[in-house]
Amino acid sequence: MSTQDVVNAGGDALAARKPTGNGVFSTVADYLRGPWCIAIYTWREGIRKKTLMGFLILSLLVIFGSTFLSAFLDPSAESDMELKLIKDICVTTISIFGVLITIFISASVVPNESENKVIYTVLSKPVRRVQYLLGKFLGVQFIIIVNLALMGGLFFIALYLRQWVLPTLLLWSILLTYFEFLIISAFTFAISCAATSSVLPTIGGLFIYITGTLTEYLKDVEVRSGQSGEFFDEMIGWLAYGLRNVLPNLQHFSLKMQILDRAPNDPPTDVLIPHLMAYGLIYAVSGFIMAYLIFRRKEL
Amino acid sequence: MANERFKSVSVIIETRDLNKIYEGALRGQDVHALKNLNLAVNSGEIFGYLGPNGSGKTTTIKMLLGLIFPTSGSIEILGTTDIAAAKVKRNIGYLPEGAYYPDFLQGEEILRYYGRLYGLAGAELNNRIDAVLELVGMTFARKRLLRGYSKGMRQRIGLAQALISDPQILILDEPTTGLDPIARKEIRDILARLRDEGKTLLISSHELLEVELISNRVGILFDGVLQTSGTLDDLLTTREVLIEVDNVSPQSIEVIEKAGFRIEDRVHQRMKLRVPEGRSTYEALELCKNQGLTLVGVMPRRETLEELFVRVIGAAEAERRKAS
Repeated sequence: MSTQDVVNAGGDALAARKPTGNGVFSTVADYLRGPWCIAIYTWREGIRKKTLMGFLILSLLVIFGSTFLSAFLDPSAESDMELKLIKDICVTTISIFGVLITIFISASVVPNESENKVIYTVLSKPVRRVQYLLGKFLGVQFIIIVNLALMGGLFFIALYLRQWVLPTLLLWSILLTYFEFLIISAFTFAISCAATSSVLPTIGGLFIYITGTLTEYLKDVEVRSGQSGEFFDEMIGWLAYGLRNVLPNLQHFSLKMQILDRAPNDPPTDVLIPHLMAYGLIYAVSGFIMAYLIFRRKEL
Repeated sequence: MANERFKSVSVIIETRDLNKIYEGALRGQDVHALKNLNLAVNSGEIFGYLGPNGSGKTTTIKMLLGLIFPTSGSIEILGTTDIAAAKVKRNIGYLPEGAYYPDFLQGEEILRYYGRLYGLAGAELNNRIDAVLELVGMTFARKRLLRGYSKGMRQRIGLAQALISDPQILILDEPTTGLDPIARKEIRDILARLRDEGKTLLISSHELLEVELISNRVGILFDGVLQTSGTLDDLLTTREVLIEVDNVSPQSIEVIEKAGFRIEDRVHQRMKLRVPEGRSTYEALELCKNQGLTLVGVMPRRETLEELFVRVIGAAEAERRKAS
């Protein structure tokens, strides 16, 4: 085979693989084919992680077990209180285990692939780094959504069987919880792109979750710290101010009190769901852009 | 599609004054991993890329694949410096050293995944999967989960994923490390067949015998510097002769050694004496005759790649010591 044949063969093979369709749709579909493959692979790999499965099984057991709570309560206790307790346990379980699953999976997908060198085989293919990240991030979202659907679904069934009323408020709560997890996931993912192991991004993810839930308290810290006039206090005040303005306020996404106090089919009040979704998406996109900026010139 | 064709090139991979400096955390801790590397891999050849651990082989490969970035210098693959372009990457297959492939997938599923990343689909993908499984001899295990694969089978699946898009260039990092002799021979045969089909292969390896058996050209890297490169015929120039003799006595050994011939493989009264390049074989034979030794055989001997490697690295190390 002559050199020219080799070169032409490369060109012919390439020509055979060019997208046949025209227009924006086919270009976008062609561009997303790689990320989609990576997302499905990430999802398949993720659902086999033992730690993740452990969190999920434990959370399902807690949700399932809480419905038998009445057996341990004082028989004279009001049935309302019992229901409130069940709701409280279930919402908290979904929140805690959901966050743990979100942080754990978002923190590990990229560092793990770097560690076991799978990333080399993927990025040596015609896959751009942004496509790789998009695929990984989508895969993480699939895992989070399925886990949330399983936990929320079990809680939904348990509530429905107790009251025989469709708990639509819970559905809104699950939707908002997903957007809360989306934000945490995006920033944990961004940190993981800079890290070589999943330890640092896990700590980072927990930090974002904790500070994001405590943003209201940061306001108090900011106000109080300015009172003494000392340099250290002033500095804490500035730090609290900075964190409060930069970090997302995750408390906005919680409908816990409404679920506990109101009827299961009441519409959510005091929240603008489309606004919160947009808020979540903006933070998630920012997190993803941050991940890309870190990863685009990262030496692997 | 003329614009998609690569321009006519005989050098498939070329680096020019390529440098890579890994920056250390503190000043003075920088590592100059590659120093002005000028490497050329020609179309349709197997290029053995050799060097001790830490010499810069993997750094070079990672730069060729766009996994890390040069500090200075340029890389040209298939006649273009845009090595991240999809049209270039579609024509590169890569097998990293000791890569992991997920246990929960079947051999066929792994290939399907990587094939899709190349943009293959449908019948074309199925045909390629069949072809590469056949080529690496893994058709029998295509439906088996990877957790049931031996090390050799995993390496062959790794090779299959590198070949799934029928690339023109194959970059293989230690393709036979850790394999048993039979698996090694099988992989070697596959690589030779790929070369015969017109593929260009860049193989980084410590297995010098393997490389010597299949490579057209080699390059030896040490301390980030390409010490030598060329065809095996050009590089393995030292030609010696071994003379095997019997009825050896201590006195005859003394005379032979005094004459400047090296003695090796002495067993009882039999031994070999090495006639270095530049010395006359007749002179050695005459000496043996005069000492009353019985001639068993005369064997011409070319330097092995291992000996060349040791010689080149030894000289480079001595040079470095001298400089420091």
